Amino acid sequence: MDQEIRSYCRTKGFHLHTEERWLAYSEADRGALLELIREVRPGENHFRDLVDWLDEIALRDATQIATLLREKLSDVVTDPRLGRNDKLKRLKEELRRLRFPRLAGIEDEIQRRIRNLKLPVGISISVPQGLEGGGVAVKIEATSQDDLRRLAAEASRAADSDDMKEIYSMLGGGAAGA
Amino acid sequence: MKPYRPQEIVVETGVEESPIYRNVKRAFPDVPFIYSAETEVLTPQDFGAAKRRLFLLRHRGEFLKKCPGSDGQVCCNYFVINFASNCPMDCSYCYLQDYLGSNAALKVFTNVGDLVAEAGAMLEKHRKFFFRIGTGEITDSLALDPYIGFCAEVVPFFAEQPNALLELKTKSDCVDGLLGLDPKERVVVSWSMNPQRVIDADEHDTASLDERIAAAMRCQAAGYKLGFHCDPMVEYDGWENDYCGMVEKLFTAVDFRRIAWISMGVLRTTPGLKRTMRSRFPSSRLPTGEQILCPDGKLRYFQPLRVAMYRKMLGWIRAAAPTVFVYLCMESREVWEQVFGFAPACEKELGSHMTESLAS
Repeated sequence: MDQEIRSYCRTKGFHLHTEERWLAYSEADRGALLELIREVRPGENHFRDLVDWLDEIALRDATQIATLLREKLSDVVTDPRLGRNDKLKRLKEELRRLRFPRLAGIEDEIQRRIRNLKLPVGISISVPQGLEGGGVAVKIEATSQDDLRRLAAEASRAADSDDMKEIYSMLGGGAAGA
Repeated sequence: MKPYRPQEIVVETGVEESPIYRNVKRAFPDVPFIYSAETEVLTPQDFGAAKRRLFLLRHRGEFLKKCPGSDGQVCCNYFVINFASNCPMDCSYCYLQDYLGSNAALKVFTNVGDLVAEAGAMLEKHRKFFFRIGTGEITDSLALDPYIGFCAEVVPFFAEQPNALLELKTKSDCVDGLLGLDPKERVVVSWSMNPQRVIDADEHDTASLDERIAAAMRCQAAGYKLGFHCDPMVEYDGWENDYCGMVEKLFTAVDFRRIAWISMGVLRTTPGLKRTMRSRFPSSRLPTGEQILCPDGKLRYFQPLRVAMYRKMLGWIRAAAPTVFVYLCMESREVWEQVFGFAPACEKELGSHMTESLAS
């Protein structure tokens, strides 16, 4: 197994310390990472991101990387409908949800509230990645003055809604669980 | 708090006449002294080992610098005096691990006369301005004081300055050297505060919470104004009980009318510091919080979480000390708005608020 790990690291041009970090895990974790890597074939930056988050989740939840991969992420890794790039993308998304559960929960709830607004084509509402900044971006793309008036009225309706009030409350710490 | 004892002391030749050297010589009669004109070659590369070898040498640059703050964050217009570099204590989250890099030697600068002359010239030149000056940016202000006697050299000077206030910021209880001096309302002694659970887990070799509060009470009785920095606040299961209990304990002990200011700031790291923490303190749970990368390159708890933390903390502080001046350290205008309902227009405004709080 260690030979295969070394071989993968060299083929992909990993730094020696990344290879050493991988080899320093327990046998179970080394093996679980190797199975993962056979499926998604990440480059070094992606690999480091994955193991950073896996390490932190394992430390936080007092578990092992092998257990995490087996119990929480194996569905993504072995999904036959996904190509390698999609697997890696989904894997990182799922891992982010495990690593930042409250942040992901608030982001999901904000997206649900935005969908509730049933905004017409021409208006989009977004919040920053990681919710840093506390602001809501509203984009209006109007094709005529009348269209602009109509969309501005829709935006005004959205601004007065309970959903928007709740979005701002969440951005201001109202649902952070602290 | 465990007394500091270096394994050896490296002295730059030519500094033997300084009061700092004489004090250290007296404090550590059994520790080997190494005298060298080329002290740099004796600098340990390992950050932990660097704390156990104390260097005494002259500082060759300027002592007084503007606090760099953090890009894009509201700043409090603060100046720093670097009388030493590195710290005998060993907090797992300490930014010096990253900031000092390969220059990690624990150094104390012996030419205090130059420091006083430089500060005196600047204060004299700008009498119209009021300066808040701290010594705790790249070292702890007091942890080495029982051995070096720095405060006895500078507190009498700052006590006589009409346009400056000196802040001595610490996680120690080393205040004996301050108690016989008259600060004349020109010196604030401040503590970095955390619940005992955080101190036990991540603030190695520092004073306990009770020791910090006891030291603050002694300083208050000796005529010093006090400051408290609830920084870094750490979020974990049960943090509310611990921090609320800490605030109650603090205000049961000290008179809040003698408090110059209280700051709040959540745990901040950088990707590089996180790697160092993982390597030096692998069991620390601090890097496992929900911290994201902010525009200034620092990792903090995501904004709604830290705003909720600040609001709770502010509520506990206000309940115990309704008029005390509270501010945020290294936070954006948006976070200020969400916590306080306003943000200072500029760093001068925040600095002015802090100066005014001293007069009240």
